[in-house]
Amino acid sequence: MQDVILEVEGVSKSFPGVKALDQVSFNLRKGEVHALVGENGAGKSTLMKILSGVHQPDAGAIRYKGREVRFHDSTRARDAGIGIIYQELNLIPHLSVAANIFIGREPLTRFGTLDEKKMNRDAVAILERLNLRIDPTITLNRLPISKQQMVEIAKSLSFDSEVLIMDEPTSALTESEIDELFSVIHTLRDRGVAIIYISHRLEELKHIVDRISIFRDGRSVSTDDYAAITMDEIVSRMVGRKLENIFPSRHNVPTTEKILEVHGIRRTGVLHDISFDLYRGEILGFAGLMGAGRSELARAIFGADPVDAGEVLMNGKKLSLRSPSESIRAGIAYLSENRKQEGLAVKMQLAENVTMANVNAVSRRLGIISRSKEMKACQQYVNELTIRTPSLTQVVNNLSGGNQQKVVLAKWLFCHSKILIFDEPTRGIDVGTKYSIYELIERMAREGVGVIMISSELPEIMGMTDRVLVLHEGRLEATLVTKETTQEEILNYAAGLGEKARTQS
Amino acid sequence: MSNARTQPSQEHGPEAVTAKGRSGVALDRFLTFGAVVVLFVVFSITAKNFFTMRSVLSLLLQTSTTTLMGIGVTFTIITAGIDLSIGSVVALTGTIAVMAAIAGVPIWISWLIGVAAGGVCGLANGLMITKMKLPPFIATLGMTFVIRGVALTITNANAWPAPESFGALGNDTIFRTGNQFPGISYPVIIMIVVAVLCHFILKKTRVGRYTYAVGSNEEAARLSGIKVNRVKILAYVACALCAGVVGTILASRMVTSQPNSAIGYELNAIASSVIGGTSLMGGVGTVGGAVIGSFIIGILTVGLTMQGANYFMQQIIIGLVVIFAVYFDQFRRK
Repeated sequence: MQDVILEVEGVSKSFPGVKALDQVSFNLRKGEVHALVGENGAGKSTLMKILSGVHQPDAGAIRYKGREVRFHDSTRARDAGIGIIYQELNLIPHLSVAANIFIGREPLTRFGTLDEKKMNRDAVAILERLNLRIDPTITLNRLPISKQQMVEIAKSLSFDSEVLIMDEPTSALTESEIDELFSVIHTLRDRGVAIIYISHRLEELKHIVDRISIFRDGRSVSTDDYAAITMDEIVSRMVGRKLENIFPSRHNVPTTEKILEVHGIRRTGVLHDISFDLYRGEILGFAGLMGAGRSELARAIFGADPVDAGEVLMNGKKLSLRSPSESIRAGIAYLSENRKQEGLAVKMQLAENVTMANVNAVSRRLGIISRSKEMKACQQYVNELTIRTPSLTQVVNNLSGGNQQKVVLAKWLFCHSKILIFDEPTRGIDVGTKYSIYELIERMAREGVGVIMISSELPEIMGMTDRVLVLHEGRLEATLVTKETTQEEILNYAAGLGEKARTQS
Repeated sequence: MSNARTQPSQEHGPEAVTAKGRSGVALDRFLTFGAVVVLFVVFSITAKNFFTMRSVLSLLLQTSTTTLMGIGVTFTIITAGIDLSIGSVVALTGTIAVMAAIAGVPIWISWLIGVAAGGVCGLANGLMITKMKLPPFIATLGMTFVIRGVALTITNANAWPAPESFGALGNDTIFRTGNQFPGISYPVIIMIVVAVLCHFILKKTRVGRYTYAVGSNEEAARLSGIKVNRVKILAYVACALCAGVVGTILASRMVTSQPNSAIGYELNAIASSVIGGTSLMGGVGTVGGAVIGSFIIGILTVGLTMQGANYFMQQIIIGLVVIFAVYFDQFRRK
């Protein structure tokens, strides 16, 4: 149990202009789950990429099973028994489960054709080691994301991995899927696999973690038994200072003035007859499990998806719900949960992204863009939101995740919207940036904006909202006043267990 | 708190990185443009008569049509699309202009009808891609046959002679001073005007900005309130208008309807655009690049011809240029 299988000593790595890792040390024991935490840019990903052979260290040593090693590419690391599961899965959606597990090393028959039978048989065997019952012949993209992740774990295991690195494995999973993942992790640990577990969701660590290492600014700060450290200590070491409040104090006062009235929104199979109001200066939470229809409801109000019935009034005036462009003109902004896919044009410049939804404001007659106006407007948001960028013309792809999220924020703030819909605004974002996003949300509400915040993290709902709508399978289960409810109550409704239509206002 | 967060960025100072970024861009432009200059110098030395007023002017004239098509197709490629129907549009618009002139329409109006016919083709392409949601490759591939068929039908596959004055657009020049300077051909002037105009549209106007946004991330663009369909349709109309200009110019140069002409011209256009750095994945591309790309092809063609290299050899060389231009472009971007 105490055998160290992997040891990192004094590893440094620089990229042009950045020292990503500075004399980092770290060790991993056989059969433990070792959490690695730190803010974005703390160096976690770089270290993982070095361990899995994607990058080579500039200095320092890596000892694996007692021998010093240096992996020149990820194939060699994998063959040696170090597997990595990235946040974005590396699977091929149109192939079967078995084909994905054995890709690149498919068993062949005597005639040199694919031996499907053996492949499926072996796939079942591997999946059974994880106590999983998945049909190996099913096409991957017909499985939910959680099951696809299990396939990825199974694939990695089929290389006889002794070290498994998991990068934010729960970020796309629902509560029950997370439980399933944890039981798989327990199975692996009991079989002696050492697991490095990277996560921003600190509260989930308690279920699985044995030891925890904290990184900050490319350095390793500490390693402790998880039982011997408090959450406050973890957070303060991550940010290098004591973070008094996770949420800012709230001064926004919801008015009684209805800014948005939603009546009977229906989309067959997705949303069932949903009605609610949003008040000026209010932060209204949408809670619910994955697939409950929260984003779908937001997108319907925003006009991004078509609805079959229902109407939405903004300041008493009916919205067309036909297209995002009309909603934006009416003063609604929607910050989608998936920034790379839906929020940003990553090949374009920061400035171009900030003004994208409101180019009119920096244009002269005939649709000619004034570059100087654009830069001025943009600089203001870069300062205000402390976006870390070398220049306003930086291509967005080169910014870090937290800064990309701030660019999306800037884009919508620049629209001066009267209703802001935030869909998972802090997903995949480090603690410090989270706080500044919360502050901003609070400030917008204080300034009289109506805010809708969709979140899968209940503490966030509890800490930031005035009222909560709880959705379950496309139905509005409850409307709760945040101060008068509990996480347990919300969860009950979210799971569809609450008494129907108990509504407070 | 913001203090702690901004600290690290100052280590690799903002100014330093910006400066590096700028010189990087400058170097890129210099390299592509440099390729044109180098080619030009090489041929001036090795090919007899390459560097003469007459042959430079004829190079400009010959390249002008490819450049126009290259600029047009760049719009569609930036939106992550493609237009394979350019050659057919060139043939159809030329024949329509000729038929209009034969029918007695005033000459300059018949030219405009030719160009406008291109716009109609582009509108058809755009509507199929946005409203019928067809992949651009399929929609424009289908239209390649349809449009060619229409051109053949209305001419009965004949080369009808146009009135003599119809030839002015393709054959006349301005700024002619006796025998010293033969003058600049109209197509060259048109090329310059269209290039400047399109560059301005792409870089300085909202619709240009939206074109890049749609190609870079269509969903983000839509959720930002950009009318994606309208932007795409405009890109295909712009492309086909350029093809219409080329069709009219070429018909004018021949002074006949040529329903069987311009087969495969779209490939030259796409090659020019791609050599100039346009990405088939969308979101990246410039008018300047397309101009440089078509001039690289043009100089190679003329230069190799004057050197005595045969047509087959030219094909091989141009093909290799396309391949290696993109190959090196990938390196540069890394």
